[in-house]
Amino acid sequence: MTSALLGAAALALVLACALGARPRLWLGLNSLGTLSGLGAAASVLTGGRGWALKSALSLGGENVFLALDALSALFLTLVCLTGGLGALYASEYWPDDHFPGSAPRGRSWWSALVLSMGLVLTCANGLHFLFAWEAFALSAYFLITLDRERSEVRRAGWLYLAASHAGTMALFAFFSALAAGVGTWDLGPLRDRPDLAPLFWLALMGFGVKAGMFPLHIWLPSAHAGSPSHVSAIMSGVAVKMGVYGIVRFSGWLPVPDGAGWTVLGIGCASALVGIVFAMAQNDIKRLLAYCTVENVGIILIGLGLALLAAAHGHPVWGQVALAGSLLHVFNHCLFKSLLFFGAGSVLHATGTRDMSRLGGLWRTMPWTAALFAMGAVAVSGLPPLNGFVSEWAIYQGLLKAVAQKGETFGVLPAVIVLAGTGALALGAFAKASAIVFLGAPRGKTSGHAAECGPAMRAAMLVPAALMLCVGLMPGYFLNMVQACIAAWTPQWAASAPPIPARAIGGAHTALACALVAAAVFALRKVRAGGIRRGPTWDCGYAAPTAHMQYTGGSFAGIVTGWFRWALRPDRRIRRVRGYFPESALALERVPETVLEKGVGPAARVVMLLADAARGLQHGRLHLYILYVFLGVTALGMLVFQGGM
Amino acid sequence: MSAMLDLSLRLLAWLVLAPLVPGVINKVKAWVAGRQGPPVLQLYFDLARLWRKGVVVSTLASPGFVIAPAVAWVAVVGAALLLPLAGAGAPASFDGDVLLLVYLLALARFCTAWGAMETGSAFEGMGAAREVSYAVLAEVGIITAVLTLVVQSGSISLATMFAPLPGPSSALLAVGLFIILLAENCRVPFDDPNTHLELTMIHEVMVLDHSGPPLAMILHGASVKLMLFAVLLAQAVLPLSELPLPASMGVLALAVLLTTVAVGLVESLTARLAFRRVPLLLTIGFLFCLFPLLLTWMGDI
Repeated sequence: MTSALLGAAALALVLACALGARPRLWLGLNSLGTLSGLGAAASVLTGGRGWALKSALSLGGENVFLALDALSALFLTLVCLTGGLGALYASEYWPDDHFPGSAPRGRSWWSALVLSMGLVLTCANGLHFLFAWEAFALSAYFLITLDRERSEVRRAGWLYLAASHAGTMALFAFFSALAAGVGTWDLGPLRDRPDLAPLFWLALMGFGVKAGMFPLHIWLPSAHAGSPSHVSAIMSGVAVKMGVYGIVRFSGWLPVPDGAGWTVLGIGCASALVGIVFAMAQNDIKRLLAYCTVENVGIILIGLGLALLAAAHGHPVWGQVALAGSLLHVFNHCLFKSLLFFGAGSVLHATGTRDMSRLGGLWRTMPWTAALFAMGAVAVSGLPPLNGFVSEWAIYQGLLKAVAQKGETFGVLPAVIVLAGTGALALGAFAKASAIVFLGAPRGKTSGHAAECGPAMRAAMLVPAALMLCVGLMPGYFLNMVQACIAAWTPQWAASAPPIPARAIGGAHTALACALVAAAVFALRKVRAGGIRRGPTWDCGYAAPTAHMQYTGGSFAGIVTGWFRWALRPDRRIRRVRGYFPESALALERVPETVLEKGVGPAARVVMLLADAARGLQHGRLHLYILYVFLGVTALGMLVFQGGM
Repeated sequence: MSAMLDLSLRLLAWLVLAPLVPGVINKVKAWVAGRQGPPVLQLYFDLARLWRKGVVVSTLASPGFVIAPAVAWVAVVGAALLLPLAGAGAPASFDGDVLLLVYLLALARFCTAWGAMETGSAFEGMGAAREVSYAVLAEVGIITAVLTLVVQSGSISLATMFAPLPGPSSALLAVGLFIILLAENCRVPFDDPNTHLELTMIHEVMVLDHSGPPLAMILHGASVKLMLFAVLLAQAVLPLSELPLPASMGVLALAVLLTTVAVGLVESLTARLAFRRVPLLLTIGFLFCLFPLLLTWMGDI
């Protein structure tokens, strides 16, 4: 059954890659492929039995070995879900009429990306894993640079490619060293080989770049912001998770070094805090969402780090809850981030701008997008009764249980405090994003003639929204699903029962949701019955404000960005009001990608300077080259001579 | 059946008693100032009047402007229901319910900020921005206090979390939670509930444009939230679980009353803080919660 479904998925996606020029056929094939993939993943997740295929077919000198266990099936669900929905979205968002050149190209690469990510998840051979990883990285590159006429996009693509390959380099080292140590390229559980533990650092490095964890996230904001919105959605919701998958997968299969748990926990805290502070400071809505991805990866890593700690110290009670929360958050983040990027894309589609300071009041023309984006904002802030709360709650529970136990877990205390601060900041960032874009009065001409998106884009947003509600109200099903993944991660914990009170939280959420709906309906009816008078905003009697006097995104975030000025290092341009008849005043503030522009950039320039200086050695004068050779041989000779003595 | 009855009784208690709290505060303030002051039941009269009124809604506002206060009100009342009441325990208790409480308050905050931004007024935007920013510090403080209780009791469920703390920790935690109470409930020195027309307002400025039943929900929700924090404070620092049920309820009521009077006294005797000092005072509140955490952790090793 699973084999047939996976085979059908692969076949349909290969055909879809080839038939990118025919939109309807492509959409059908892509949907078929993702649906069968989803079916295969669901059968593994619910049936609990893994699937494996060892073929005699040889590729690059290695036999093809494919496997799908619960853990990879969870990630395959994400690939297929966003892979299918994004294609639906793209059929309206990136149509041939407007983009005759890039639309067919985009469709082919889309299917290629979905296919290669599926292969990454199923390949159980190190060499083939690297092939699939490279195909995935490249197809993502071509999707990011779909709109390559814009120099901003080309720069983002280049940066992505460079960062991605830096990560791949670490992965080459990782898989080669692993194969050398084990004697075969085939991958599988090797928990009884403590000598392989140091390889974890290589994996963390290589997969961490893709996961976008701080400080390796430098490629992420520009790549997510510049690409078309359906590509941003799959990059942020799924592609980043491939990095997370790598870290989870190999920390489960291989033994990990002693410091691994604390390191991952620390990186998680740093990513969460830095990600959300940068998100808060952004004025570009898609950049805001991109930084929020860094934050959510941080939250996922906090859970994973705690699970590693628990495994090291032998505490399944809190390790299991934390890992369940972490894996569920992988799923949840894919749902709400796809929804939010689709929503942001819908705004961009309608208004032509991502700059929040030009938007506003869009709820009137785009009620569906506004409502769904608000729902996504509530979920991503981790508020009940939606899915974000369920996973954050499980991670918190793991943290609190670890704290309650005392002993060696003192370092967990700061993690809890950081997570609390992150949650509150995320609420601020998303109150800002949704309110500035959708509420109030339009700030520019662009918002005036916006129109609601069409049925395909709306459907692509409705599906994740419905799933988010399902996870929120029936967390038990999804936590059970994740439970199978935990068994795949570490079989020792499988015996102990899941200590998560999923029924209680599900019941509380359902009661809350009913009460909220009832209260909302009641309030609307009560107000309508009592009579509504419409008037200008009262605002303490200031009756004639202009739209430009509203609070903007920058002013909304001002307090928080002030606290974190030392980290954000914003570029400011201010021309103050001068004299009695001031002419013009100006205040511009831009928050750069600080790690890139103030850290990596200068370092790279130093390397370039050194390289330039070294180029002076190559001048084309033969006699000097002969001198180099002579000096070199002499030095070598002396070395050998010394050694011989 | 008895569970339903228990839940309804609690709901009734929260809904009916909460508006007394601001009334008592106002009475204390009047007493210190030598005035007669409004009656203790003033908020009930206000609510009844507001409930009968029609509403004026800004032309810019969406239906969310009316929905947001309703959602916020439900969230706050839900959070209050999760809280155990001394010896009477909690109606529903599970591992990690304390986080649900904290995040329900966050949901209420999101909705209030949303409602404020609906009107497109810079004034209300300012309030919303301040609310969500200062809440970061307040929430960190609350979680730190929760951590203290978790470390002390070894439990992560509200029903069993309020284990008695040793004296010094208890006193420090009381101060920390009291500061957070003042900040989260828009009391002096963070905010002044008596006036809307100040540029340094936080919470009060967000509800400028609300009127009629939605405003009634906001005011009632605010009083429930104030009582919630007072109950939380009392249970966190007093060893109520060791007393028999009637005595513990009595002590709890007394403690809430004392907290209320203390809020009134602070409000009468101090001025509002300079605006840039607000984060500083909140940080001090956080530190007052952090020290008992460290003391509790060290005390056991």
